[in-house]
Amino acid sequence: MTITFLQHQWKSFWRSKNTSKNIAIRIMMAVFILYFFINMLVLSFFLDDILKKSFPSANVISTFNSFLLYYFLVDLFNRFQLQELPTLSVKPYLNLPIRRNQIVNYLSFVSLGTLFNLAPFILTLPFLMKVVSRQQGSPAVAGMLTAILGLTVLNHFFSLWLKRKVNLNAWWMLGFLGTLAIIACLDYYFKIISISTFSANLFYLITQNPTYSLIVLTLGLAMFFINHAYLKTNLYLDELHAATEAKKSSTEIPFLSRFGNLGDLVANELKLIFRNKRPKSALIMSFLFMFYGFMFYRNPEFASGHSAPIFCGMFMTGIFIINYGQFLFSWQSAHFDGILAHKMDVRSFFRAKFLLFALFSSVAFLLTIPYVYFGVKILVTQFIMYLWNLGVNTLIVLYFANKNYKRIDLTKSSSFNWEGVGATQWLLSIPLLVSPFILYLPFMWLGYPQLGLGLIALTAVVFIVTREYWISKLVETFNKNKYKIAEGFRNK
Amino acid sequence: MLKVLEINKMIEIQNLKKIYAGVTVVNIPQLSISKGEMVGLVGNNGAGKTTLFRLMLDLIRPDTGAVLSKQKNVAQNDQWKDYSASYLDEGFLIDYLTPEEYFYFIGGLYNQSKAHVDSLLVDYTDFFNGEILNRGKYIRDLSKGNQCKVGVVACMIQTPEILLLDEPFANIDPSTQIRLKNMLREVNQQRNTTTIVSSHDLNHVTDVCERILLMEKGVIIKDIQTDKNTLEELEEYFSVLN
Repeated sequence: MTITFLQHQWKSFWRSKNTSKNIAIRIMMAVFILYFFINMLVLSFFLDDILKKSFPSANVISTFNSFLLYYFLVDLFNRFQLQELPTLSVKPYLNLPIRRNQIVNYLSFVSLGTLFNLAPFILTLPFLMKVVSRQQGSPAVAGMLTAILGLTVLNHFFSLWLKRKVNLNAWWMLGFLGTLAIIACLDYYFKIISISTFSANLFYLITQNPTYSLIVLTLGLAMFFINHAYLKTNLYLDELHAATEAKKSSTEIPFLSRFGNLGDLVANELKLIFRNKRPKSALIMSFLFMFYGFMFYRNPEFASGHSAPIFCGMFMTGIFIINYGQFLFSWQSAHFDGILAHKMDVRSFFRAKFLLFALFSSVAFLLTIPYVYFGVKILVTQFIMYLWNLGVNTLIVLYFANKNYKRIDLTKSSSFNWEGVGATQWLLSIPLLVSPFILYLPFMWLGYPQLGLGLIALTAVVFIVTREYWISKLVETFNKNKYKIAEGFRNK
Repeated sequence: MLKVLEINKMIEIQNLKKIYAGVTVVNIPQLSISKGEMVGLVGNNGAGKTTLFRLMLDLIRPDTGAVLSKQKNVAQNDQWKDYSASYLDEGFLIDYLTPEEYFYFIGGLYNQSKAHVDSLLVDYTDFFNGEILNRGKYIRDLSKGNQCKVGVVACMIQTPEILLLDEPFANIDPSTQIRLKNMLREVNQQRNTTTIVSSHDLNHVTDVCERILLMEKGVIIKDIQTDKNTLEELEEYFSVLN
């Protein structure tokens, strides 16, 4: 049965229309993962040297041991954020003569195949072989590995269990994050507990007497059974998914109503952003980018030049345009037919996008005004880049939106979500990143950076003033491409 | 006389063909539908009903031919949107809005105020059967049948001259089916709305429509005025196929 399940999942992955057929993206993913692994391998091979250099006075093995529990705490946190629940849709199997145990076993089993479970071994195995086995013999290594296996299994099933709990009730998440924060505070600030000492002692004990590692493994197995039992009793359609539905209310955005029909369109799109998981996380990401300035401006060398403020200014005031705009029209893929068939003027459809972008960019610009602390020049540059975003980047993004045919499911989370990603997104980033510098760099090299900046500002203003013309151009291409876009969006 | 006929022609299809991967899914050399006609579109799965609707709504590009709405090609201008309303599937609904928000939005497209939309919605209280308004749900959380109700009423508040509905009877409960039939008859009589409805339920279409188009493999093989024998005739056709 498990084999059949595996086959089904294999098919569902490769036959899913969302699985990008784009080879370039697969290669990119593979390269990323490979790169990660090579980094980890290099790190683990030289771990003993690194530890020796960083903590010359201490014994290498005890330093290593003291870090292990920290690793697993961080691992737990990362898993909680990134690990996906096993995706086999159980719905088609529940009504068939298949025992629940089989389904649950399969769900547990298949979930194990994640990089999170491989990483601890890649990171520790070379060190264990190189150092521990030489100094303390292979039983110690076996004990350590068993303990690491136990902790990995514990983390794995704990995070799955917790995620399911959180899906039903978000308070679990607060509880979990709060506990982690308290532990961190107690350790770092108040020094009441010391995870490092505990970790060092625990693993010292295990190297001395490897059978103790079985206790850790038992913990892991216990967690497996808790998760198993939980899944088994809750294998009901309405309970596996978020069931606690709060009452949804209709909202109005009075500010937008003064824009009439256009305002309605923008209000709809704002609701799209706030009521769906993926666009919402794109928005939150955009706000995190507001801190970009701190990374650059604190360095006087960067703050005194123009390049860094141009770069930061563009990102901070325009990240929403880039982040949200790269998937433009895809966000509306679920009701794109409705957009085409209803009495909706294509021109106002585009104007609404401009208005939306202008709103978010303006908010971002206002929020980044405090960077004036690093110099008035920075504020001026940020303002120019804000104009640039309104004038040029919105156009670039909308131009590429006309060439984007990929459907997006709004309700899925955005981490590691490659749905809707295609060549367009890669292509799009080039003009976005390069264009202001094409104008600026020649003047900087000639020694007139101000002139370069002025040219950016002028270009931005010209594009803002001539916007109606560009909208006509966009509408023209849209009318040509709309069938293709709609066709692509219908492909689930 | 000819002039009058021309004006009465709401929809005209000329030499329309749509081909997917070498298979002709719609092939209609000529078809015209006059003002105020109630047309039922029947045919088995894959007969091309939905594709025909999409062609009429300029959602897909025909390989040859054109659909004219009031003598104007739907692919070349947007005027038809001013007087046509349609609901084909959930892809027409904005699913993260509440039904109220969606109705206001649709009303707004026709410059109707919220109060006006509210007053229009009062007429559909029975049709909604208390399951749509003020339920505190987004459209995506409604059942398929209730989504269909939202889509149909969204069409109604546009007070269209042309109404296109794809399988509106499929997911709704029997009471709603009967109410929908009455509603369609009513708008047809009161506003002379030209209606095209597709359905797999032969009883419903023959009951409500005065003209039946039977499609098979993209071709309209029968174009009949409904009389008391129509249902029998259709049932005969569909049973012969088996």
